[in-house]
Amino acid sequence: MKAEELAVMGNRIRRDVIEMIYRSGDGHPAPSLSAADIIACLYFEIMNVDPAEPAWEDRDRFILSKGHACPALYAALCLKGYFPRDWYPTLRKAGSKLQGHPDMKKTPGVDMTSGSLGNGLAAAAGMAIAAKLAKKAYRTYVLTGDGELGEGINWEAAQTAAKYGLDNLTLIVDNNGMQSGGSVETVGGVVNLPAKFAAFGFKTVETDGHDCGSIVSALRTEHGGRPLCVIAHTVKGKGVSFMEHNNAWHKGVPSREQYIKAVDELEKIING
Amino acid sequence: MDNVKSTRTAFVAALEELFRLDERVVMVSADSVAVFRAGELMKKYPERIIEAGIAEGSAVMIAAGMASAGFKPYVCAYAGFLTMRALEQMRTFVAYPQLEVKFFGANAGMCAGEREGVTHQFFEDMGIMRSVPGFTVLAPSDADDTFDMVKRAYATRGPVYCRIGSGRDPVVGTDRILRSYGTDAVIIGCGAPLKDACEAADELKNEGVNATVLNVNVIKPLDEAFLSRYIEGAGKIVTIEDHNVYGGLGSAVCEIAGRKVTRLGLQDVYPESGTAAELRDKYHIAKADVVKAVKQA
Repeated sequence: MKAEELAVMGNRIRRDVIEMIYRSGDGHPAPSLSAADIIACLYFEIMNVDPAEPAWEDRDRFILSKGHACPALYAALCLKGYFPRDWYPTLRKAGSKLQGHPDMKKTPGVDMTSGSLGNGLAAAAGMAIAAKLAKKAYRTYVLTGDGELGEGINWEAAQTAAKYGLDNLTLIVDNNGMQSGGSVETVGGVVNLPAKFAAFGFKTVETDGHDCGSIVSALRTEHGGRPLCVIAHTVKGKGVSFMEHNNAWHKGVPSREQYIKAVDELEKIING
Repeated sequence: MDNVKSTRTAFVAALEELFRLDERVVMVSADSVAVFRAGELMKKYPERIIEAGIAEGSAVMIAAGMASAGFKPYVCAYAGFLTMRALEQMRTFVAYPQLEVKFFGANAGMCAGEREGVTHQFFEDMGIMRSVPGFTVLAPSDADDTFDMVKRAYATRGPVYCRIGSGRDPVVGTDRILRSYGTDAVIIGCGAPLKDACEAADELKNEGVNATVLNVNVIKPLDEAFLSRYIEGAGKIVTIEDHNVYGGLGSAVCEIAGRKVTRLGLQDVYPESGTAAELRDKYHIAKADVVKAVKQA
């Protein structure tokens, strides 16, 4: 898919995020919106997956470590054809296949249960080690938030990924600069990420996390012999004017008026 | 000198058989290759032992990722560092999605951690793991039982936690019924303290008190039908375990007994450094304590 088409897909994901959260009455909109373009690039350009066969053993894997952004993942999976749109309003409701955080046993296309922050990179390292041991060519992608890099287990896993030379592993950091309680700099002290991952043995590149051409180029960076880390600079709440840079939308449900305004803004971009 | 045999060596011997049997079986280590006496195995199968370093949480997640891709990882670390430090990973990322990951925790129990002191004595693991849905919890009686339990873990669907000892573990026997002298008392135990339980039953027999000693090596799911047969007819019920009296085998037996159970084990206290024999005596999980409990229960 061309960069312009990927940008449209990112905004279709955003539109569906807003619809899902509005109709179901719960969820995390702003962290989903910052990740939308990255997820669009992965599912509609980069990853080798087959919605008709979600458990295909040679598929590329994706872990949404910042699992609270799952409305964006669910939207991408739905748009890709894993399940119908009428699942959207069931989000977070009893009996739903769309759990409050990703559940690998309930949602087709979800490769790893996630959402307790910090754990995705280590699971991804395990998948990448498994690919090497089984002599399979699939790649593993993991998207973390920046705030969750405060969890030490990320750095445990980073050491192991570098030690094993996991050149089939790509970490993308949704570096929107905010976590639940405020800025990542003041709350968690999560700073200097490119230097940190480089020091841990990753090939590290930075990109605008809302420029799909740039995201795709970053994801295709040559990184022979070591894992790749893409620091994607993003805006929390991106694409909805009143949610951008506004941490009040870390978790929240738009009113009817807000819902109409948000969808209207996004559809204007989608329809060019 | 006690008749001892290493549960750790038994673990590795069984794991090697599984390595030969099924190429999906791997070991994930949190710097536990030496602890588990797996150095020779690693030389033979360098790719099949994944070393995560001193990083239990990450080791469990790596195992979860590998299991999601079809492997059957055996995660090895000290019992407490697994069940306390990496508990969330064991629960949320292995037990909840029911991945095929098997956990073996060494130094389980006060005596197995002996001279190291409380930091390396883990007597809460069975209680912790029993409370996590979806886990099978195993407590082999001795080295030979450990060998069987490694195989049993492989044959068991879903996640398994198995506690093992110090590597200087008394030979107890692997039968479920270790002594069958009569119904004056039933002594229900797991792990190394069964040795004291058996010796106590022998001594009691000489005094005319006839007891039965049961080896419960599957803590969860508990074989309630089997245990109930012996509990119902028994004059007295005594449990013994190298574990806190809260949460472990004693608690599990109380849940089904419906009447008084005398629980031998750590009485909700922190122990200390010492030899296994010293600690058994001081914290009352020795032969004399079993004899006393049966007489007083």
